[in-house]
Amino acid sequence: MEILQALVNGLLIGGVYAVISIGLTLVFGVMSIINFAQAEFLMLGMFIAFFCWQYLGLDPMFGALVAFAVVFAFGMLVQRGLIERVMKAPDVAQIFLTVGLLIVLENAALLAFGSDFRSVQVPYQTSAIRLGELIIGVPYLLAFAVSLVAGILLWAFLRFTWLGQAMRATSQDANAALSLGMDVRRIRQIAFGLGVGMTALGGAVILPYFTASPTIGGQFVVLMFTAVVLGGLGNVLGAVIGGLAVGVIQTMSTLVLPIQLQNLVLFIVFILVLALRPEGLLRQK
Amino acid sequence: MSSDRKCISSRPVDSTRRGLVAAAGVATVAAGFPAIVRAQPKEVNVGVIMPLSGANAQFGINSRNGIELVADEINEAGGIQGLGGAKIKLIVADGTSTPTTAANVAQRMISQNQVTAILGAFASSLTIAISEVTERRGIPLLTMSFADQITGRGFKNIFQVVSKASTIGAAQFNDALAIAKAAGETVTKAAIMYEDTAYGTAQAKGLREAAKAAGVEVVMDDAYPLGITDVTPLITKLRNSGAQMVFPVSYLNDSLLIIRTMRQQQIDIPAIGGAAGYVIPDFVKGLGEFANDVLSVSPANYDRVPELTDRFEKRYGYFMVHEALEHAVCMGVLAEAMDICKSADPAKVRDTLAKERFEKGWSTAMTGAVKFDETGLNTLAKPVMVQWQEGRLRTVWPKDLATAPARWKGKTISL
Amino acid sequence: MSQAPVDRSASDAVAARRRRIGWGVLLVAAVILPWLLPEQGYTLRVACLILLFAALAQAWNIAAGLSGLISLGHAGFFGAGAYVSTLLLINFGISPWFGMVAALLFGALLAALLSLPTLRLRGHYFALATIAFGEVMRVIGNSWSDVTGGPVGLSVPFSQPSFAVMQFQSLRPYYFLLLVALIITCLVFERIRRGALGLRLRALKNHPDAAASLGVDTTRAKFTVAVISGAITAVIGVLYAQFMFFFDPDTVFSLAGISVRAALITIIGGMGAVAGPLIGAVLIIPIEELTNMLFSSTAAGLSQLVFGAVLIAVVIWQPRGLLSLLTRLGGKR
Repeated sequence: MEILQALVNGLLIGGVYAVISIGLTLVFGVMSIINFAQAEFLMLGMFIAFFCWQYLGLDPMFGALVAFAVVFAFGMLVQRGLIERVMKAPDVAQIFLTVGLLIVLENAALLAFGSDFRSVQVPYQTSAIRLGELIIGVPYLLAFAVSLVAGILLWAFLRFTWLGQAMRATSQDANAALSLGMDVRRIRQIAFGLGVGMTALGGAVILPYFTASPTIGGQFVVLMFTAVVLGGLGNVLGAVIGGLAVGVIQTMSTLVLPIQLQNLVLFIVFILVLALRPEGLLRQK
Repeated sequence: MSSDRKCISSRPVDSTRRGLVAAAGVATVAAGFPAIVRAQPKEVNVGVIMPLSGANAQFGINSRNGIELVADEINEAGGIQGLGGAKIKLIVADGTSTPTTAANVAQRMISQNQVTAILGAFASSLTIAISEVTERRGIPLLTMSFADQITGRGFKNIFQVVSKASTIGAAQFNDALAIAKAAGETVTKAAIMYEDTAYGTAQAKGLREAAKAAGVEVVMDDAYPLGITDVTPLITKLRNSGAQMVFPVSYLNDSLLIIRTMRQQQIDIPAIGGAAGYVIPDFVKGLGEFANDVLSVSPANYDRVPELTDRFEKRYGYFMVHEALEHAVCMGVLAEAMDICKSADPAKVRDTLAKERFEKGWSTAMTGAVKFDETGLNTLAKPVMVQWQEGRLRTVWPKDLATAPARWKGKTISL
Repeated sequence: MSQAPVDRSASDAVAARRRRIGWGVLLVAAVILPWLLPEQGYTLRVACLILLFAALAQAWNIAAGLSGLISLGHAGFFGAGAYVSTLLLINFGISPWFGMVAALLFGALLAALLSLPTLRLRGHYFALATIAFGEVMRVIGNSWSDVTGGPVGLSVPFSQPSFAVMQFQSLRPYYFLLLVALIITCLVFERIRRGALGLRLRALKNHPDAAASLGVDTTRAKFTVAVISGAITAVIGVLYAQFMFFFDPDTVFSLAGISVRAALITIIGGMGAVAGPLIGAVLIIPIEELTNMLFSSTAAGLSQLVFGAVLIAVVIWQPRGLLSLLTRLGGKR
């Protein structure tokens, strides 16, 4: 029973990790750049949802849509203005562009919002659904549900729309895509916007059971990267499975190990995958 | 004049001697003047180093507010009498969240601002880093940080106004046990969960040892990483452990998470928090009515001396949180020390702090008086048990310090 | 200006001589400085920190600047050094001078172990792995309380100032200790850069495939550099511990405060050049202190924001850092 509850909890929270990680992997897939600042967009999404709640009375689940839209637009600007410029630059430039971006975003948020923790009070914050012996917290369930819908929509977009297919083509072979007449730059711009937008949405939906602060991003970095690396950088389905796996590993490991070490387990998984199978556990699609 | 010639010949000697006497006179006055000036300074510089940015900013700001309140009151009442009415000048600086920066700031204050003493820095790691500087420069450091290490190094310039972390942890446990007993419940199983920071770990140690001494079985004893993203494993483990009460030690983020998840999972065993996140206005703002009846230990509470602490609420708009109160006591004690020894010289102030008993004004705000032992610990400090009741934080235990009856599982225990 | 081929060897020699004189002047200035400053003062303390972080950045520069090993986990070595030396001192009374040797060896060992699984990883992946390494060290530091003291951190035992235990009353000896460390690190950097190893590394950085086909043992070269860098970083960690007298896992294993900072200083100053970390440290450390002093909490995060923005700017427009900007202004060819 314990195991089942841990499994369910892990999947619920893993769903959110999945949505957060999809963004990261999408960006890498299309641009071969690891966006070290990805978690900061999560933080932005959280704050946007918070302010929607505070000033507009919007529940964070709806705030998530606003967060997505705003961060999508912002992401496109960032890609056009900064990321695109280092597309052909050496690794060090690409790495430190996004590291610099991380620093700028976090400290700008610190200056703008102060370092207070902001938490929302939603009517369902202590509700839960009982399924026999299983207890499912409503905020977790809602976050999972919204993440699921967002994930499915993205998958559908990538699978069935022209733009989505163009994106997949670009991630497989950018030169071929270019020669086929696709506006690869535009595709990259949209992909980045989509990627950070998804992560922002993920940040918004966890607001009911989390607190927002400018430094919150750092807590998700490990999780995001482990999820993405597990599933294979660039593999969107992989990120979903990776996210779910990370959630489950996190909760299941606490059954046998001290909770303090839950991240240690993830780190070790992370390093092992990088060392032994950098292309991820899933076969590349 | 016939005497002129004599005068002419003797004038140089006379003028030289006169000059010498005059010079000697000026020199004496000049030598004495600084002494007079030093003994009656117009202003006394007091350093305040707090985390005004980063994760602890809120607590740092609260602390600074507490100090400012006291300093302003003293200045408005005419300054420090023993120093001829010298005004307190606060030199406030941001210790950030990095000990390296905090130590630099301390050094800067000592070299550039000639501070008599430093108050700070809320977070134990900052305080310890600062104390390494102040100890070597002979500047007294007054603090309410309570990691056991602070008073455990044989330092002569550190003065801690609250009990040690292990003492607070022990009080957290024993007082809870006492309240349970008064409500007619025998507790045999307890759970401890704490964030793996200096604060959490130190206090958990005190809890653990108190449990052992009381013969209560600790069925769950788990540290969790600061910034944990998902507490459901913790709470699940709690439920499965069969504990009758739980002692969480955490900051705001986690405290909200823990209480909410407990309620979600319909775990209604009493939670006795370890101060920090459990005793700030944001806790009740974040949980609303779910904050009611949550107990917590606190190094001190504001409702014992409303005549003093109401002034804080009036000025800043929220109740005087314990870190503000304790820093206010630090300021009060420092001012009283300077008043007693009639000097702003750090060494003299240090000796006074070590020797005297402080029982005037804000020095009384915690337990009535303050007295430091040779390790720098305030022997008169006593942690109290507080409880949220209708949005206010009331002191409920021990009975001689309580201002409201304790509630345990819906039962009110009369005072 | 004519573009006719010119025998540049004479002007090269002149330029080299000018550079040597420049370094000599700098060295003399550095040696005189502490005598001009109050020996317990704040300014001297800041100077010490500049030296410390310049040395740290230079150690990072050895790995990243010379062979493209972009590490974001150097804090792992830094903290390891601090802990090894301080634990030896606390538990066995061993002097930090020997502690430095122990740290050197331990840092080298860690770097060697880390290199095994990660050296063949591509740039971005390698950086990720190093982040994980740094964080693993931090978690171990926080959880292995029996050995490391846990999150409460370690204090270097307070004792009477003496050379034997590397504790001094005045700041001047610390300054010189750190200066020597910085000089040694710079010399190691230059030695590698100009030597055969540096040649090999440059070859594989610019043309990895060509280099491999010419028989350059790429992995061996990178491995050597990684080990040297890790070892030196660990020693600097020891000096940090002895200077600050106190540290905790979150500080010495800090991703932002140590790993990223070392990289930031080097890149802004000029990666791959020995002067880069020096320029970076001389700029960044005082600016941070200044902003703290002037704005304190009202603009918390301002200095970091500026550094982040400068980092982005450097990476986009002036990848060789401020050093290249300065040499351009100096009118060099």
